[in-house]
Amino acid sequence: MTFRQFAYRNVLRNRRVYAAFFMASVFSVMVFFLYSMLLFHPSIENTFLKEISSLGMGIAEVILFIFTLFFLFYSMRSFLQARSREFGVLLLLGMARRQLHRLIFIETMLLGFASIVTGIFIGFMFSKFFFMIVKAIVQIPVLPLYLSWKPFALTIGAFLSLFAIISYIAPVFIQQGKISDLLHGDMAVESVYTYSKSRGIFGVILLLLAYSMAAFVSRSSIISLFFLLPPLITVGTYYFFTDTLPLILHALRRQKQFFWRDYWMISISESIVRLKENARMFFIVTIVSTLAFMSVGILASLTSFASQYREVNPLGLVYKSLPQNEYEYRHIAHLATELEQQGIDYWAVRFRVLQQQSSYTKNTVNIVKLADLNELALSFGEKPLQLEQGHALFLPASASDASKLAKKLVHTELAESNMSLEIEGIYPYRLFPPNALGLNTIVVNHLDFDKVEEQTLGSSLAFTYYAFNIEKWQETKNVGLSINSQVLASIVLENKAPVRFEFENPGLNYSHIRMTFSLLLFMGLLLAGVLFLASGSFIYFRLYTSLSHDRKQYAVLQRIGMTDREFKKIVNRQLIPQFFFPWGVSFIHSVFAFLSLQVIWDALAEISIVKELTLVLLGFTVMQIFYFYLIRWRYISHIKAPTS
Amino acid sequence: MNSQMKKPIVKMEDVTKIYEGKVMHRALTQLDFDVQEGEFVAIMGPSGSGKTTLLNLLMATDIPTYGKIVIGGVELETLSQNEIALFRRHQIGFVFQEINLLQMLTVEENLVLPLTLDGLPVEEMRARVQDMAKKLHLEEILERRPDELSGGQAQRTAIGRALIHQPKIVLADEPTGNLDSKSAKDVLELLEHINLHERTTIIMVTHDPIAASYCDRVLFIKDGEFFNEIYKDERRQTFFQRILNVLSLLGGNVNDFSTVRLP
Repeated sequence: MTFRQFAYRNVLRNRRVYAAFFMASVFSVMVFFLYSMLLFHPSIENTFLKEISSLGMGIAEVILFIFTLFFLFYSMRSFLQARSREFGVLLLLGMARRQLHRLIFIETMLLGFASIVTGIFIGFMFSKFFFMIVKAIVQIPVLPLYLSWKPFALTIGAFLSLFAIISYIAPVFIQQGKISDLLHGDMAVESVYTYSKSRGIFGVILLLLAYSMAAFVSRSSIISLFFLLPPLITVGTYYFFTDTLPLILHALRRQKQFFWRDYWMISISESIVRLKENARMFFIVTIVSTLAFMSVGILASLTSFASQYREVNPLGLVYKSLPQNEYEYRHIAHLATELEQQGIDYWAVRFRVLQQQSSYTKNTVNIVKLADLNELALSFGEKPLQLEQGHALFLPASASDASKLAKKLVHTELAESNMSLEIEGIYPYRLFPPNALGLNTIVVNHLDFDKVEEQTLGSSLAFTYYAFNIEKWQETKNVGLSINSQVLASIVLENKAPVRFEFENPGLNYSHIRMTFSLLLFMGLLLAGVLFLASGSFIYFRLYTSLSHDRKQYAVLQRIGMTDREFKKIVNRQLIPQFFFPWGVSFIHSVFAFLSLQVIWDALAEISIVKELTLVLLGFTVMQIFYFYLIRWRYISHIKAPTS
Repeated sequence: MNSQMKKPIVKMEDVTKIYEGKVMHRALTQLDFDVQEGEFVAIMGPSGSGKTTLLNLLMATDIPTYGKIVIGGVELETLSQNEIALFRRHQIGFVFQEINLLQMLTVEENLVLPLTLDGLPVEEMRARVQDMAKKLHLEEILERRPDELSGGQAQRTAIGRALIHQPKIVLADEPTGNLDSKSAKDVLELLEHINLHERTTIIMVTHDPIAASYCDRVLFIKDGEFFNEIYKDERRQTFFQRILNVLSLLGGNVNDFSTVRLP
């Protein structure tokens, strides 16, 4: 038997132990490959989706790679620990350390090759299915299956290097152990009972500080917090797991009233050991799941932005023509014919907007005619309003403006036309996108409007605004494309030929936004799913490696006279912290992060992301609970199985 | 209480245990004996004689194929899983060769463990721990963890844990197996003391004739069958010699017995 054969047989015969490790690797390879397939897809590569989504996928792949590295690295370590007795025997039989390293290297590479091949194979088989899901979610044209060397090369390259790194580093873990230690299986006996009180308190302080800063963030401080909070939280979380938790648990331990009760003694003291042993892993899981929560939350809120898009953009098409726009009539006629050709019903209203200076605030005021507004309102099914001469209404630029202006009463005089007006109340219907007709706009009676226009001899005209109310607004994707390209061309030419008009097609914008966001969301969810699965498997993996120790303990407890029910409770209390502490901490982290994010959203678009986030966090909770029961079930059945 | 020395606390009636599987194996054959209340009994026999099986049956982790076992008037087979757990918790204490202290608990917590399961008031638990610690000379090391103990200290802690709930019977499996001779002597004297002063019944499985010489009676089994029994006499020295005599009759492999042969 050659050395390589020996390594090969080792892997084959240890397959039950290797299985968990193998499956995790295969899954990571598969997801990575699917991302790559999407990343290099010819029909995505050639669309506008390319830039944003390939950036998103690139980031997802990098995160996936780094996390897989960590995951496999830690799994490998505990896996080698579980096999330490075997290595002890080999060393005892006279194997040189160098040979042992080579053995582990070959074994890991074998496993790596196998999981890369299997992962890519499964990934390729599922890619058509995957594309169909993407298509259904993202609503893009059919993605045909394609064959290209790129995704294969990327996946193989990435994971080969990953496995090479791991198999090179992994043997270091068993290097320090003495043979006798290895034989007894207690390798790397870190003192699990030491902790620093000051660091523990420091950790809590850091976290509380970060939380309160996130909770009381204001628009002005958000940028600086953006850079300050992540390091604070990271360091705080690290100390929380390495020192604060042991500190709290040891304090609990001294409370005999509490600690000496039922199964608490065993579960808490077991938790102390487990949490301390795995503190670093829990730290990584926490930070990574915080990232996952956040990215899914942000993406979900972007989708929420899209779904509230219609509310913000009630108009189907908008054409704004500045004075001296030679294209005005041609464009409007063009839009009208295009809409008719495509059989889309519309209602267009032409607004002439005048500009005056207010003697009250010295700011410019835009003026629109109530009759025009009534006409548009009618198309939305709203009732027309009446206004006395000399009276005016505010036309709020946005929803938050509306509440500010609602109770305001202003007497003003328009400087150029010497017209005095009493402005009271707001125009109640929201018919325009925010800031459509200027920031400071009032509505006047048509007589007053005409008077202002006469007084200023037409020089007061700011712009003409064509509002198209279209019920089937999502169907206008293909309307006005030529106007769009004219705008684009002028941007390319920069200021040499500035256009005197603006054109907006919310239907087209919406389809872009929606596609990009839902693609990103989908990828974020998939990534979060991988991280979630991996961190759960990791806990299981750790449990698996300590199984022989746990079995012995179970036997002792059984002899002391512990009932099955009590044992289950102990297992619960042991597993729950391992499952839900990292997750609970990242949950709280995300809640505070979203609190501060909400401030950004408020500033940007006045959109509430509470609903989406509750959904996201709730979804993860349900999955986590399900996973907990699954792993508890496996664990208990392993523990009770006769030792063999 | 002590006048009724003759009341059997353990009754084994024709107990037979057959392990079925690929290779059928008869571990015990019609074993029939009683243990009186307050007695200190040693069970000796070569490897494979069925000692461990016997102990497993006594602590109800296994059930006999035929025959019945009655402990303290209760037939073990009639108990449900839950009742067996409670039975162990209240009636039986265990001491093992490999000292099964829970590593993450201190000595004090290991001692108190069986009591916490029953939800006694903390004050009472504390009193009992103090009491037990004084008896077993563990006062100094109550705060230590098992990996900071010597073998003798650890075994004393394990004995303390087996006794703290004042069980009727203590089952011991080679309690001195891993100890040096000094610690072994301490542990045996401790068991003897407990047997004498607390009237606790002790059944001890052992290879070691010295350990067996501390008992009231030694029961020999061979290949799962009853072989002989002898009772102690005035002097331990002569009892020890008689045990050795039976052992040499018992045959088996010389290696099975203690290599120490005192004159």
